Amino acid sequence: MDLMQKLTILADGAKYDAACTSSGGDRESGGRGLGSTIAAGCCHTFSADGRCVSLLKVLLSNHCIHDCKYCVNRNSNDTQRTAFTPEELAELTIQFYRRNYIEGLFLSSGVMKNADYTMERMIKALELLRYKYDFWGYIHAKTIPGASPELVRRLGLVADRLSINIEMPSEKSLKLLAPGKTKSAILKPMAQISSGLTQNKQELALYKNAPRFAPAGQATQMIIGASPESDYQIINLASGLYKGYGLKRVFYSAYIPAVQDSLLPSVDTNPPLLREHRLYQADFLMRQYKFEACEILSESTPNFNPYLDPKCNWAINNMHLFPVDVNRAPYEMLLRVPGLGPKSAQRIVHVRRSARLDFPALKRLGVVLKRAQYFITTKDHPRGINMGRETTLRALIDPGVFKHGMEQISLFGPSGRALPGASDVKQVDEAVEEAVLCLKASL
Amino acid sequence: MSQSKPLANPVNVEYLYDGSLPGLYCCVYESVYEKEIPLDILAEADAPPSLLERRLILTDMEKAKRVRASIPKKISARAMELIETVFLSCLEKKEMAILRFLLFAYRHGKNAADMWHHPLVDPLIKAEKHLLGERHLLLGFIRFSDYDGFLFSTITPKNYILPFLKTHFINRFSNENFMIYDKTHGAALIYENRNWSIVSLENADIREPSEEEQSYRALWKQFYNTIAIEARTNHKCRMTHMPKRYWENMLEVKDLL
Repeated sequence: MDLMQKLTILADGAKYDAACTSSGGDRESGGRGLGSTIAAGCCHTFSADGRCVSLLKVLLSNHCIHDCKYCVNRNSNDTQRTAFTPEELAELTIQFYRRNYIEGLFLSSGVMKNADYTMERMIKALELLRYKYDFWGYIHAKTIPGASPELVRRLGLVADRLSINIEMPSEKSLKLLAPGKTKSAILKPMAQISSGLTQNKQELALYKNAPRFAPAGQATQMIIGASPESDYQIINLASGLYKGYGLKRVFYSAYIPAVQDSLLPSVDTNPPLLREHRLYQADFLMRQYKFEACEILSESTPNFNPYLDPKCNWAINNMHLFPVDVNRAPYEMLLRVPGLGPKSAQRIVHVRRSARLDFPALKRLGVVLKRAQYFITTKDHPRGINMGRETTLRALIDPGVFKHGMEQISLFGPSGRALPGASDVKQVDEAVEEAVLCLKASL
Repeated sequence: MSQSKPLANPVNVEYLYDGSLPGLYCCVYESVYEKEIPLDILAEADAPPSLLERRLILTDMEKAKRVRASIPKKISARAMELIETVFLSCLEKKEMAILRFLLFAYRHGKNAADMWHHPLVDPLIKAEKHLLGERHLLLGFIRFSDYDGFLFSTITPKNYILPFLKTHFINRFSNENFMIYDKTHGAALIYENRNWSIVSLENADIREPSEEEQSYRALWKQFYNTIAIEARTNHKCRMTHMPKRYWENMLEVKDLL
């Protein structure tokens, strides 16, 4: 089989992995070898689905002993199997990297023979890249569940970021859909990497030249919409992973039906993209806006509001905290204003040292006032704009909702409140009116 | 402070200068010492004919040095950095924007460059952001072709960003030899045998790519087309992140234009 065919098969098998980030590390080549990494990460192109392509994302092999129901590479799937040799993969990475096509390599693999054998092949390819080709670009490696601790450690010494997929949001779903994998086989290496990272930090503080273990940290991914967990369960799990294992990122991947199975949603369901979008919004609230999972959702409202993003939803339920004075409020409170993000909030804090801000000044700072205006007071509006609940609601409704093909936010459970579909409503305006009515009644 | 007498008053004159940064500093010198704000400041080479009174400002390195030294001293090092970045940006009438900012900043002192909300500071901050944003995108979007071990790339940016690309690529490809040709501004960044230079270059002859080069291009295109998930196709999202004006130099999407 020639390289073109191999690349096609092995990229196709890897494309459902959501992560393609190259962030978290800052390394200069120091005048030798090839490559560097930049802390902010770097996108080299965007594919037709609008996703950032930063790394050469491939499988080492798509042979797999497991039979996970949701996976295109499961062994019961009748598909062509192949594998890169470590030399082929290293050469391809180098040649792509020299032409500035990519920021580095994202290496995952199906499980050949057993977890340890697969890990050894992966380590061989990566050691070849690092030590023979002197390659110092970004490497993200996927840990194989059930691999021995020594191999996990060796993989961490050649990779910038490690990740191990948690696959399903609960143990029950994992047992049902991924019979070959167990919760402990996934969480054990995750815990090992987590403590390895802490230990490495101490070593580096003592000896500057200590070997670096996964300097860009670890991440994970789970599939959304193939199993019946509520949004509250999912963000609680994510919050636990951030706190308990110090993860850098949790990725959510809307389930795309690849196969007909009685345990899975039928193949003609649309991927729950709106739900995935809401999960990422909630994830950002937890990582960068200092929200707790229990502030975003609760036992009594376990699923996202399809019309409002989680932050607006929180604000509308906590109107007694608003309006806030942009000239005085602490940074943490500015972050909670709908429409203000970390950048706007930082700019406000920076500029208000030398001037008192009014609406025109905020506009020049690039603050989007469409939503924020109802939640703040400024020099020219010392009491804020109070337009009543309905106007505020109308400004907060996420117009993106109506673009997602009006899918349901959850396929299971009581929250499966259907949105007005494209065929039900002639105009988006009408849909917004309906949403306002619906929200007004429920709040 | 803002109530005090203005440093300069508007006059009906256009300044012509040689288009260089020291030249612009001499225009600032003229404006401050003549206590006047010109209608416009134009680079001599591309000034259209006009009936207005014009004054040619000669570049005097001594004057330029004095103006340059005054910026960190009377304002801040950050103001200096801002001005020198904006000068390379594609901001329209950037010369006047810089002059107006300086006249304001000399009065206002060390915080001037941090007053992002002020109408005289805001356009400069936006122009700088535009330039740095374009630089960041191009760090990823630049495509090199290998000609017998020499890497060559063409770009068509709006801002003059070659000086801002230098460190990144030299650091990354320290053992390679490469050239980035900026077609818009007729200049090239050349890195050869561990020495770099930025030279003006009107034309770059491009040879036929070798067979090996063509095979890697084909592999990359195939990878690009394979990695997209069909069920999630979203052309608008792609265009938001990767504006079409960059596509002409990106081999994987060039054919889609």
